[in-house]
Amino acid sequence: MSSVYDSNLVLIQSALVAVLLALSIQVPLRLGVFSLAGVGSYGIGAYVSANLVLRYELGSIPTMALSALAAAAVSFLLGVVIYRLAGLYLAMATIAFDLTVAVVALNGGEWTGGPVGLFGVFTDLTMGLLFAVVALCLVAVHVTEIGRLARRVTTVREDPELAASVGINVRAYRLTAFVVSGLVGGLAGCLNTLTRSAVGLQDVSFHLVVLALTTVIVGGALSWRGAVIGSVLFTWLPTALAFVGDWQELVYGAIVVLAAIFLPTGLYGAWCSARRQFAVSFVGRRREAAVRARLHQGNVDKEVAAS
Amino acid sequence: MTNVLEASDVAVHYGGVRAVDGISFALEEGRISGIIGPNGSGKSTLVAALTRLTHLTRGELSFAGARYESVRPASIASMGVARTFQTVRLLPDLTVAANVQLGHDARARRDRPRGRGLPAPVSQALDRTGLAEMAHVLPSELSYGTQRRVEIARAIVMAPKLLLLDEPTAGMNQSERRDISALLRQLRDEGLTQLLIEHDVQMMLDTCDHLFAMAQGRLLTEGRPADVVADARVQEAYLGKGWKAHAGDQ
Repeated sequence: MSSVYDSNLVLIQSALVAVLLALSIQVPLRLGVFSLAGVGSYGIGAYVSANLVLRYELGSIPTMALSALAAAAVSFLLGVVIYRLAGLYLAMATIAFDLTVAVVALNGGEWTGGPVGLFGVFTDLTMGLLFAVVALCLVAVHVTEIGRLARRVTTVREDPELAASVGINVRAYRLTAFVVSGLVGGLAGCLNTLTRSAVGLQDVSFHLVVLALTTVIVGGALSWRGAVIGSVLFTWLPTALAFVGDWQELVYGAIVVLAAIFLPTGLYGAWCSARRQFAVSFVGRRREAAVRARLHQGNVDKEVAAS
Repeated sequence: MTNVLEASDVAVHYGGVRAVDGISFALEEGRISGIIGPNGSGKSTLVAALTRLTHLTRGELSFAGARYESVRPASIASMGVARTFQTVRLLPDLTVAANVQLGHDARARRDRPRGRGLPAPVSQALDRTGLAEMAHVLPSELSYGTQRRVEIARAIVMAPKLLLLDEPTAGMNQSERRDISALLRQLRDEGLTQLLIEHDVQMMLDTCDHLFAMAQGRLLTEGRPADVVADARVQEAYLGKGWKAHAGDQ
């Protein structure tokens, strides 16, 4: 068991970072905010953490906190400027933000290392701390998926006018989506730098946008469980597809296309639908029949009374 | 009688279109007021303006004596105004109970009582609207009329001081309309002020204490429901100019 863990250590680290990156896209999506700015925040978190460690020799915990806060602050300012945009226009604006971060990284001089990047970012980060931070984020997101907060989040996404009429400040929720996305994306970038001890242009490249989006689409966009499933899948997929050699990219693309066509709610959504179907078909059939009978009888009684 | 809501010279213009064009009126406390008018007369735009979902071109709004034409739409619920929409606006993935709970969320931070089950106001709202049996059913499994009752339950669970109902009985059969009319009158007897928009004139006559008639964004007349319905200007707005002569020819 231990040898399996050791031999997959890098993949496990990658999967944990990928979970947070996926959450930085998924949290805004759950609020109806089609923002891909989480990837830009990831880049900010990655470079800020490298500088904090290399220049100020901070430990892993303050580095994580400051990197996440820096990314969240930038994301908040971005949100203030573009929160009124929606749909594809919002996606375009946030991709422009991601590309801007990449340009700054390329031309940032000694702060970013330019095309070479920054190396030797060593801290006291342990696997236990890495697991704990990711678990903490998942618990925080889980809280937004249950009870009152879940209903309000769903309403902001599905019907902003209805949300306003039941007292929900839609603007505040949308701005919060930008802040949380920045916080989680920045944390993901920071953890990636601390686990790899280096940061470079690959940490702000466009392929991260594609990776994060496909992770969420294939895993499931409406729950953190979808982000976890997608992250694990896409972290191990290249290893699993090693046997197809040069055809790997094609198979990868085919999986994404097939998932988008046949699993529009992602793997987790499909699992939930199957479970609900099972409950309706077997467990709840008797109760459902009883309710239907009462509904029908009620309508009949009213029609008789009316006539 | 005191006025719960007062509107003064309210106008909503979209470019050259004057959807609402300088309307002034007041809603008396504890009364059911109604607005009738042909399609496109500006009734729903007026409700959107009253709930701040539509920006006012000009005019003043006051609720319980306090001006509110500058407040955010989300603050309307905390002022004590609840509404239903012209079309059904339920969340398809939430059960009937969860949809109604959304209204309860506006006034209560506690998610559920200490024991199990729904909060008492939610259960009461479901009972009053005849939805108790359907609490755990998805909206898509209900008839259109029943879905509208879920909207009413979601609004009354907010314990509002003023309830705005935009065509609440659209899609209902006659017996369902009578049930809703009885429910609204019962709520009125408990002190809830209401503003009702409907096309069903008989329903308005049976339900409302006071009626406003609108046409082309303006207020034509107001008064006792029977008088307003009998007003020649109102009949002309619905049936067109010269309708009497045309009817005589027939």
